[in-house]
Amino acid sequence: MEAAKRLLFETTILPHLNAAYNLARWLTRNEHDAEDIVQEAYMRAFRFFDSFQGGDGRSWLLAVVRNTCLTWRRREQGMAKVPFDEGVHSPGDLAADAETRLVEQARFGNVRDCMEALPLEFREVLVMRELEEMPYRDISAVTSLPIGTVMSRLSRARRRLQDCVTGRIKGDAQ
Amino acid sequence: MTCESLSSVAGAYLDDELDAGLNVQVREHLAACESCAKVQNQLLALRAAIRDNAPYYRAPADLSHRVRTAVRRAERQSGGAWRWLAVAAAMLLAVSLGWNIALFRSRTSGADSIAQDVLSSHVRSLMGTHLLDMPSSDQHTVKPWFNGKLDFSPDVRDFAVQGFPLIGGRVDYVDGRPVAALVYQGRRHVINLFTWPAAASGGDTELVRNGYHIVHWNRAGMAWWAVSDLNAAELRKFEYLYNK
Repeated sequence: MEAAKRLLFETTILPHLNAAYNLARWLTRNEHDAEDIVQEAYMRAFRFFDSFQGGDGRSWLLAVVRNTCLTWRRREQGMAKVPFDEGVHSPGDLAADAETRLVEQARFGNVRDCMEALPLEFREVLVMRELEEMPYRDISAVTSLPIGTVMSRLSRARRRLQDCVTGRIKGDAQ
Repeated sequence: MTCESLSSVAGAYLDDELDAGLNVQVREHLAACESCAKVQNQLLALRAAIRDNAPYYRAPADLSHRVRTAVRRAERQSGGAWRWLAVAAAMLLAVSLGWNIALFRSRTSGADSIAQDVLSSHVRSLMGTHLLDMPSSDQHTVKPWFNGKLDFSPDVRDFAVQGFPLIGGRVDYVDGRPVAALVYQGRRHVINLFTWPAAASGGDTELVRNGYHIVHWNRAGMAWWAVSDLNAAELRKFEYLYNK
């Protein structure tokens, strides 16, 4: 009964701990919050495990993690009236030589900063696609977005990231 | 295909999410159109940059333990008023499961139960407690480590150059006997490769269970079972390397 449920939970959901932590870490940009969120998400996941219809355990868990993050974020925002995403780094006007330098030097050390600076809706799809290597179908299951929206959001996310990386390189050179 | 329509699916092409027909159209256009190919290369470079520079944050070592504790707590809290209903439901479920298992058992062959064993061992190994007894990327360290622990000496190879570095080994139990488990990494995924002496029975098999891919082959009097959540094509590549 409960023990059987826990066993099933332990084989289908627990193995995705790293995926859960990675997503929470990127969404909160803070390791302590990420740890708390993962714990809370696992408790929720266990409570609602009856709604798991089989299928991909990772997507199901990540949907819970994501919801926990969003609740967390609303709570934080309620307490301190500071916007969570403090704006995106301005790409600046893109000089042709900066673009060339982008390709030539391939100095992408600021990719991480740029990704962290992206608004949440872009950051989450990039993390799921590029770091978690999830297919669109699974990203769509986690975010409850239609697949077409996942596709267009990813493409905007990439464009913004590219702009940020390129802008920063130009900035560094000055 | 025009450059404009290509740009709307360029990302999906990169992500291998287009259907076969569209895929061919994009490939042909890229082969012929220099400016689109350049844009596509930038997308590729961006992907490489993300994967090289944006960290995949692994859960801290003690988080697994804390999560388990949290789950146990949730389990206790979920008792109470619903308990009796749950007991009744669970009994019904147990009866129906028992029935299904009986039906299933009567139809499964030995290979199926081995596949099940292999999968359980793989999942257990990832649960943070017991992936490696002997962590080493050196095949000449891993192979002799099995001496005295098993009644056979497994063929240990390393494919670091081909993208599947050996990360170590352990002794595991499959099909009621001790077996060698060799552990490899393929991108961010773990591959468990189980092997033990066995007469070749049946041909090569490839299965999908709970989202994990399992590939089985026999070679030189040994049974080989590779299991991973890596995609099927990559796992086949791994099998190919082993048998080359």
